[in-house]
Amino acid sequence: MTTKNRFYGLIVILLLVLSACSKSPDIDNATMLDGDQIFDPSLYNLELYLVSVAITDPGEIQKNTPVIIAVHGYSATTFEWDEFRTYCDAKSDVLVSQVLLGGHGRTYEEFKNSTWEDWQEPIMAEYNALRARGYTNISFAGSSAACPLVMDLIKKGKIGDNGMKHIFMVDPIVIPSDKLLTIIGLVGPMMGYLETSMTTSEEGHWYHFRPQETLKQLLSVIEKARKDLQEGYNLPAGTRVKVYKSLKDPTADAVSAVLIYKGLKNSDGSKTDVEMIDSDLHVVTRLNGRDNIMQHDRDNQLHVFDDMYRILMQ
Amino acid sequence: MKKKIVLSILCIFSVLCLNAQHSSKNNGWPGELKGGIRIQKTQKLYWENGFSFDFTSPKIADSRIHFGLSYVTSRLGSAMGSNAIKQDNYLISSGYYFHHQKQFQPFARINLGYFHADYEEDIFDVLPHKAFLFSIDAGLSYEFEIPLTASISAGYNLNSGSGPSGPGTLYPFYYQMSIFYTLFK
Repeated sequence: MTTKNRFYGLIVILLLVLSACSKSPDIDNATMLDGDQIFDPSLYNLELYLVSVAITDPGEIQKNTPVIIAVHGYSATTFEWDEFRTYCDAKSDVLVSQVLLGGHGRTYEEFKNSTWEDWQEPIMAEYNALRARGYTNISFAGSSAACPLVMDLIKKGKIGDNGMKHIFMVDPIVIPSDKLLTIIGLVGPMMGYLETSMTTSEEGHWYHFRPQETLKQLLSVIEKARKDLQEGYNLPAGTRVKVYKSLKDPTADAVSAVLIYKGLKNSDGSKTDVEMIDSDLHVVTRLNGRDNIMQHDRDNQLHVFDDMYRILMQ
Repeated sequence: MKKKIVLSILCIFSVLCLNAQHSSKNNGWPGELKGGIRIQKTQKLYWENGFSFDFTSPKIADSRIHFGLSYVTSRLGSAMGSNAIKQDNYLISSGYYFHHQKQFQPFARINLGYFHADYEEDIFDVLPHKAFLFSIDAGLSYEFEIPLTASISAGYNLNSGSGPSGPGTLYPFYYQMSIFYTLFK
């Protein structure tokens, strides 16, 4: 075979690979969030999820009631914080605003075309809406990728002094457990998308197929968070952080907590609060939909909820 | 301040190398020993820099096989004056060099060693912070007319950290450049 023939052979193989990559995933509309039939429920009943929509004219007591903006992680939906809402509803003295990240909870194509700045936008929108309605006791709870999104808002100074009381981070991701994410820019175009395995109960609440474009966005936002933490920055005055980090997290490497602890300081330069949780789950506060949940996992979940509630009530 | 210390160490090292080369002429040294600096960048993580030594001998596979000893650390890279994690890589290596009598020498190498990350706080003692290193890399080496050799390579760590096991900042892909001065020949 001549060199010229080999060259043409390689081009043909490359074209075949690229054409295979452009294939869309095989989406089951009846069961998957990715399709055009199942959407996040907050898109139909916003008033059941956002405090700013549910209570547009709060009284004095409501204005001072703790409101916690609860935000899910990459490829998830508001479902991730349903159990915390149930917990707080039973307490009846904390309001929970469950925010759906931009681009999430909709079709695969909408997810594919979204950027991490799009994901971030509804967090700031709900925060601003609450402030505009007079709420004064606002906190934030984020899981996984919601944490670098809110850290970016802090870094950019979008949340001012005394604008947010507490930030709770549950299994924040700054370093991915699966290090192959670091070469998504190279292998992503060949993969097209990544299929994930999940339980039957989880189908419809998470994207079954993760477009490589969104994995690049995820890498981009955690990379930014890591570099910002490497430089170091402080929280606004009046804001405190508590990080809960699973020790054997298969998605967000536990070392993410070390980077946050080293890079993010209180406004007076003192250290933030970190608690390492003996767990092998990612997002220890979400148990619904999982198989093989142990009593130990339930204890961890309740411990974190109780701790968050105690801090909110201080 | 730290940068000044590093620059001073590099200057002293260079002078020692120069001295060593002059004093070693015709001393019956059985091979070629090079020493120099290594600059390493991990894909999507830290710069880790340090020192490296390379030995080869005509008595061992006609100088086609090289043996190396190196130390790279984020302390001399990303962790200088920042919050990056301080981590150290100690490596011994063995590589096969193609076209060993030419100036351009492609090579492939196996590296073994020890990795250690310092998380500084007791609360993080429960996290894995040390690991056995096993990596492969391949690249190009160029020997100048003067006693300098430059090499670049790309490598893969076969036992990088993966959440439930291994240090989280031990990443799989890295690139490195080394500049050697011939100490003995």
